[in-house]
Amino acid sequence: MSSDYELSDNEYYDEDDDEVMYDDEDGSASEMDVDFRISPNTKVKSYEIDFDSLSQAQVEKQISQDVEDISGIFGVEPEVASLLLRNYNWNKERLIEKYMDSATAVSIAAGLALPEKPDSSSRSRATQSQPVGAVRRTTRRNTNEQPKSGKTKILERVTPPLDDQPFVCPICFDDSQTKTMSLQCNHKFCTECWNAYTTSKIRTEAEHWITCMAEDCKLVATDDFVKSALKDDADVFTRYQELVVRHYVSCNKNLKYCPYPSCTHTVSCPAGASKSALTTIVPIVTCGASAGHKFCFGCNVDADHRPVVCGVAKMWLQKCQDDSETANWIKSNTKECSKCQSTIEKNGGCNHMTCKKCKYEFCWVCMGPWTEHGTAWYSCNRYDEKASIDARDAQSRSRASLERYLHYYNRWANHEQSAKLSVELYTKTERKMEEMQITSDMTWIEVQFMKKAVDEVFKCRMTLKWTYAMAYYLEKNNQKELFEDNQRDLERAVEELSELIESSIDPESALPLRQKVTDKTVYVQKRNEIMLEDTANGFLEGRWKWNMSIDGFDEPTEYAY
Amino acid sequence: MDARLRRVNKEISDCKNDKTSNISVELVDNSPFHLIGSFLGPEETPYEGGHFQVDIIIPDSYPFQPVKMKFITKLYHPNVSSASGAICLDILKDAWSPVLTLKSTLISLQSLLCSPEPNDPQDAEVAKHYMTSRASFEETARYWTHIYAGGPGKDGKKSGKTGDSRDEVAMAGLDKAHVDKFEALGFERSKVIDVLRRLNYRGANVAKLNDDRIVEELLK
Ligand SMILES: [Zn+2]
Ligand SMILES: [Zn+2]
Ligand SMILES: [Zn+2]
Ligand SMILES: [Zn+2]
Ligand SMILES: [Zn+2]
Ligand SMILES: [Zn+2]
Repeated sequence: MSSDYELSDNEYYDEDDDEVMYDDEDGSASEMDVDFRISPNTKVKSYEIDFDSLSQAQVEKQISQDVEDISGIFGVEPEVASLLLRNYNWNKERLIEKYMDSATAVSIAAGLALPEKPDSSSRSRATQSQPVGAVRRTTRRNTNEQPKSGKTKILERVTPPLDDQPFVCPICFDDSQTKTMSLQCNHKFCTECWNAYTTSKIRTEAEHWITCMAEDCKLVATDDFVKSALKDDADVFTRYQELVVRHYVSCNKNLKYCPYPSCTHTVSCPAGASKSALTTIVPIVTCGASAGHKFCFGCNVDADHRPVVCGVAKMWLQKCQDDSETANWIKSNTKECSKCQSTIEKNGGCNHMTCKKCKYEFCWVCMGPWTEHGTAWYSCNRYDEKASIDARDAQSRSRASLERYLHYYNRWANHEQSAKLSVELYTKTERKMEEMQITSDMTWIEVQFMKKAVDEVFKCRMTLKWTYAMAYYLEKNNQKELFEDNQRDLERAVEELSELIESSIDPESALPLRQKVTDKTVYVQKRNEIMLEDTANGFLEGRWKWNMSIDGFDEPTEYAY
Repeated sequence: MDARLRRVNKEISDCKNDKTSNISVELVDNSPFHLIGSFLGPEETPYEGGHFQVDIIIPDSYPFQPVKMKFITKLYHPNVSSASGAICLDILKDAWSPVLTLKSTLISLQSLLCSPEPNDPQDAEVAKHYMTSRASFEETARYWTHIYAGGPGKDGKKSGKTGDSRDEVAMAGLDKAHVDKFEALGFERSKVIDVLRRLNYRGANVAKLNDDRIVEELLK
């Protein structure tokens, strides 16, 4: 793991030319690509990606390595080196280059040294000793001497202490405070105010760059200063250290912080780090926390959006958000039976519905009769483009385009909803497993096939869900046909397995059911593999063509409307 | 005593004792953490003669986080929302420093009235007006000052808060002849005002917007 990481030193974000740097720099990126493909412990499937998880301590170790390097080269204290690095977004090379040019300029810019102003002390003394009431009225007369408005100037400072008088903290106005702290600039404030300020910066603003409290003073606090300002509040200091780690991670394109709340793990995934890679791979990674948070390294979506690439996933999610009101009615959990109009509520993951009243069997998704879904011409997954091609005038065209969207959205939302309902399915399944232990002679181990089947159904519904987002944007051609064939096969297998799981069990049927479910689970697993694998290969081969312009891909030959 | 309370009390008394800067603060509901600040519009600006009130909330983490301020008095200014009174000013955000005070912040607001920063606007429509036609902008700002802040009108008389009826065309900073022209085509006057204001139908812009464009917008 670490070897990949160390290679990447010269790939830190650079404000000026990050793309160029990554792609063209002596081929290091492609080298790493090759490395990742032939490395022995690497992924075998084309829809999986190589990555590593790092704990906060591991990242901190890398940070101290960089800090020690700079500290050694420049001959400065490690905490100074740390601030210099942070100010250069952890780009060691650039920092070294600039520091060699002018150590003073770099230190001033980093807030580690005071800018040299010949008469600064006497001038500030002069402003400071003005009585409070002497502050000018703001009129045309003095606007010229002021900096641009909107970027405001200081017109008045709080009453400053004079050297021979007892100390009055200029922030809390307390004259009983005897303990003060200041940075090199000598702007003194009481320790209570430093404490409240530092805590507020870290807690409220998630800030790791803590400057002096005086207006326009750019000096920055070192880790030691922060620590003593916080007194004994270890929690806040821990949060501060975490913020430094987050900053380091955010500056390195090979690293990403886990997006799950309060998780402190980092994932390293060089193969998914360049923007251009995101048109061919879907970098789904899992953090090292015991819960194993799954997220996308490419777009930070906190879910697995395979098989579609980030650009398509993003466009689809945006579209769903934009059109949410129009499509809202579909999300509802109830529908009417198309035969007797009684209300039907969906409460399992299976799409094969039977009306309680009239016993009509139909498909939840298309509301068509279920009998047609069992046959070879199952076509619930395909949108009939012909109807919309016929549409001539703008109004029916826009209706057709909405219908087209709803066709895909309906199926997308249905798989999502069915997957959510799987929580319910779990409890149902558990009950069923207990039941089976009693009614048949199966052991606890032997009834686990049910749980496995439920897990598989959930996984496949996630794949299916995203295949509808993909199909919405796919240009209509032979490739799309094949894609939809795979989608149909997977969907049918999933629905069949889903139905098996929900079927009732009696002692005689337990064993055959177990056989059927186990076989079907294996089959579904295989179909899911095929779906993921073939789609991933299609991206690697550049086989997919779109009906809309999608970031990073060729312009479509034919636009959807 | 609580450090925040001590500090705010001292700031309030500093404002009260200060006779030169024309700044004042009043408590709302006897709480030192909710105040109303006020000041006079700066001389030689369209805000001259107006009396401007600012709603001030002192947050829990004051003075380590900035005060929250917004105008109660409506005013026509690129960096102030003409609808909500929200203010776009750096020291109320990331340029805040704990050594700044209520008084210094109010004085900064007053000076913001002298020198608007249209490139960093809070109210984009007002900012466009400012950039297109300064004279027309100042006339509108002066009219708002007259209507809302008790400033003198065109003829120099103070506005009686209730007496004057508002001229919607002047409020929107438009030319009466332009509004009349499109109203004559059969559109509702309020709609004409709304469209012309949104399209910034002022100054040199008038030549750039042809009538068809306006009518198209009016038909929407
Ligand atoms: Zn203090
Ligand atoms: Zn300082
Ligand atoms: Zn995590
Ligand atoms: Zn993604
Ligand atoms: Zn029925
Ligand atoms: Zn169907």
